[in-house]
Amino acid sequence: MEVWGALIGPLGFAAKSLRRRGFHSYLAFLGLTLTVATTTFLLLLGQDLATRLGIDSSMRSTFGISWLIFAYLVLALALVSIVGLLSSSYLVSSMINQRMRDIGVIKAAGALPRRLLSYVTFEAFVVIFSSCFVGALSALSIYASWSWPSVSLFKQVGPVPNAGATVLIVVPLTSFLLCYGVASVRVRRIVGSSSVNAISKQLSNLDLKSLGKPLRIKRFGSAFNLATRNVSRDRGFNRTLLSIGICIFLSMVVLSGALVSADTSTSYVVRAMPPHIIIVANINIYNQYVTLGTSFSGTTPIPSLDYVNESYMISPQNSSAFRSIPGVETVDTRLITMSSITGFVKAHFASNQDTGENINTQIIPEVDTGSAQALIVGIDPSNAIGDWYTSDGFLHSNDAQYTMIAGDSLIGNIVQMPLNLSQISAFGFRYDVKSALVDPLNAGRVLYARVQTVQQNLGVNGYNVLLLKVNSDPAVLPGVTRLASSYGLVVGSQDPILNSNLAFLNATWSYISLIPILALALTCGIVLSYLATNFSRRFNDYVVLKVLGANVWYRLKLLLWESWGVLAISMLIAIPVAWAVSIFFLVPDPSISVADLELSTLLSALALSSVSVASATIYSRRLGLTTVKDLKP
Amino acid sequence: MASQDEEIEVRAPALAVDFLDVSKEYTVNGKPLKALSSITLNIKEGEVAAIVGSSGAGKTTVLNIIAGLEKPSQGEARVLGLDLNGSNEHSLSAFRSANIGFIFQSYNLVSTLTAEENVELMMELAGWSDSGRNEKLTAELIGLVGLTNRAKHLPAQLSGGEQQRVAIARAMANDPPLILADEPTGNLDQKTGLEIVKLLARLKGEKGKTLVVTTHDDRIVEMADVIYRLENGSLGSVDRPTRVRS
Repeated sequence: MEVWGALIGPLGFAAKSLRRRGFHSYLAFLGLTLTVATTTFLLLLGQDLATRLGIDSSMRSTFGISWLIFAYLVLALALVSIVGLLSSSYLVSSMINQRMRDIGVIKAAGALPRRLLSYVTFEAFVVIFSSCFVGALSALSIYASWSWPSVSLFKQVGPVPNAGATVLIVVPLTSFLLCYGVASVRVRRIVGSSSVNAISKQLSNLDLKSLGKPLRIKRFGSAFNLATRNVSRDRGFNRTLLSIGICIFLSMVVLSGALVSADTSTSYVVRAMPPHIIIVANINIYNQYVTLGTSFSGTTPIPSLDYVNESYMISPQNSSAFRSIPGVETVDTRLITMSSITGFVKAHFASNQDTGENINTQIIPEVDTGSAQALIVGIDPSNAIGDWYTSDGFLHSNDAQYTMIAGDSLIGNIVQMPLNLSQISAFGFRYDVKSALVDPLNAGRVLYARVQTVQQNLGVNGYNVLLLKVNSDPAVLPGVTRLASSYGLVVGSQDPILNSNLAFLNATWSYISLIPILALALTCGIVLSYLATNFSRRFNDYVVLKVLGANVWYRLKLLLWESWGVLAISMLIAIPVAWAVSIFFLVPDPSISVADLELSTLLSALALSSVSVASATIYSRRLGLTTVKDLKP
Repeated sequence: MASQDEEIEVRAPALAVDFLDVSKEYTVNGKPLKALSSITLNIKEGEVAAIVGSSGAGKTTVLNIIAGLEKPSQGEARVLGLDLNGSNEHSLSAFRSANIGFIFQSYNLVSTLTAEENVELMMELAGWSDSGRNEKLTAELIGLVGLTNRAKHLPAQLSGGEQQRVAIARAMANDPPLILADEPTGNLDQKTGLEIVKLLARLKGEKGKTLVVTTHDDRIVEMADVIYRLENGSLGSVDRPTRVRS
């Protein structure tokens, strides 16, 4: 016995066992390697995208939108990690289950449980370790070739130093530990159970509840009947359905989440800067307004300007004249200026962190939160052109005179939460902060106040920018231009500013779209592994069918019903739930393009269905090569 | 694409199996390996043919070729009048499901189907779509092999002998003229094996089926009308015992 042990040993046992299993060993290794490689690569890609987009430090756009992008990236990568780890552990569990009979036979033959445990665990260790190692190397190679020549694994992303290197170590290591843990537990459980149970695994895999109730759905034919019986009597069916369902759900959240986040961020910009709006201003103010508007998407520094220079001002009478032009629907009169502002948190009673109740004995004094340059926009709330996304609504005519709405890039530094305790000092006056909004103007470093208040503070009587909403009558624009020329003003459309900002957003999201596309590819790979594992488990039955006379078409239909049926049920549950999560829980005030969601659903369904067709075709072809000799006793 | 319902039109031949100088060669690790060498078989309709020989002699390869699962590398092979060399995979599948019943040494019932469903499946594969008739026939066949009370059991819930009886019922389900059995008693004890031999004898006596059986079991050999002995892929001898049967 000792000589035999020395000859075989754990390594010899593993090598022989893996070689004997051939295709199935290769399948387990391939499935695990692909999962680890894709998960690691996706996380490497995510940290790279975060670095390239400058999301964690000095990104263009606004705080609100970059936070939305960053939050999406973090969520997507977290979900991808869960999908990767979940599927790795499932694959390992399936791999060990396939060895159940052999373990039972070896145990029944008299192998010592401890030795058997060490042998089988070592075999699992070999597969898992090599998969994780090769997976990590593959991920690194793909990442290096993708980001060449600017490969860096040692940049800080958010709170994580050396983010790339951390991902490269943590993901394969976690996968290895999890898989090895799952394998050890499964092997221990099988070795601990009676040999008879382990040997007669066929019965333990079958659900006996549905016996004697054969399904007869004539419309779909014999292959469908057989597939439903095979699947419904498989004890692992619910587990497979759940695993596939979770993977599809999470990847669909990543996919639909990207679409919802992209559409929502676009809508935030469009709502703040609606299309087909005409800008009327002095040429210098006009150019400045364009620069301020495109600072969301550009890096041009904002030049200094005397915003309230007498020559730039448009009198109330002149602005009223624009209102009288037929076809002009709204005139948004604005007085903009760049000013130094200081933020404060008002003195207040300390509150209990849990209950929110004031602790009346403890007063927290006023805190200066710092100073910055910000664009202050005096605006007439009743004629404001824009439907900003705000936290607590826009300005109203009945708001207190010294009330401001803060741009999102000021939140968290100059303006602290909760907003009702925040104050802004501007022009020597204190303003209460009513709400926060997302606004691309001056990249979100903007404050909106009532125009009369700003006029009073600055000692001017007039405006320096007019935004005009006009109808589609082609005669309106020449009329506006004529009147503006007579006042020495220029006219321009806001659309180029909007388009520049939207192009920037589109480019950013296109860049990020690699993540959901690869997440879908990962899910397809996982589904392929699941299906292959299930097909392998039932392969003998398929060979019997072939020998009995089931033709190629019948076999293909059977495999297709078995694979696509499980996928269809999973998709039917997972996709609507993923939609609901993405729409209702992912972003505030979401905007959804139904066409985009339909397209993403169609693409996912097509990709996953292709996987089922591919796996069914591969196994059908393998079946074509089998004969009676391939039947297992 | 043709459906499973299609049946190959078969002429009524005098010979159920007609092999002329059939050879089969495999390539293993790049090297040719001869499994059969110039085998000639003439099995008449209604005969029981026993193919005997040691392990590796080529018995299962002969069955594979008769069933149309493999094609000969050389020689002519006709089964129930069908030229196997000139048939494609699809027509061979249709031929198999309509004309051949299979009995394996390891039973090989579909693990997820009950005994009666395994039998009924064969009828579905043969394209018999009348489910009422199929159910009735299934009950008859299950009764014939004495398993009425085990009809709704899964293969894993049945003993080896019971599984083999289900396999025999399945082999008869599509009412094939030719039944191929690959060492049908090889996994069974003496007593259970005898029950199977009796069942096979009934197939010949009552149903007039042609049986081709690979076996080491003398009881089956005794029952045979013709005995082919294979030695290392070649036909060692052909024996047609002349005896009076009761």
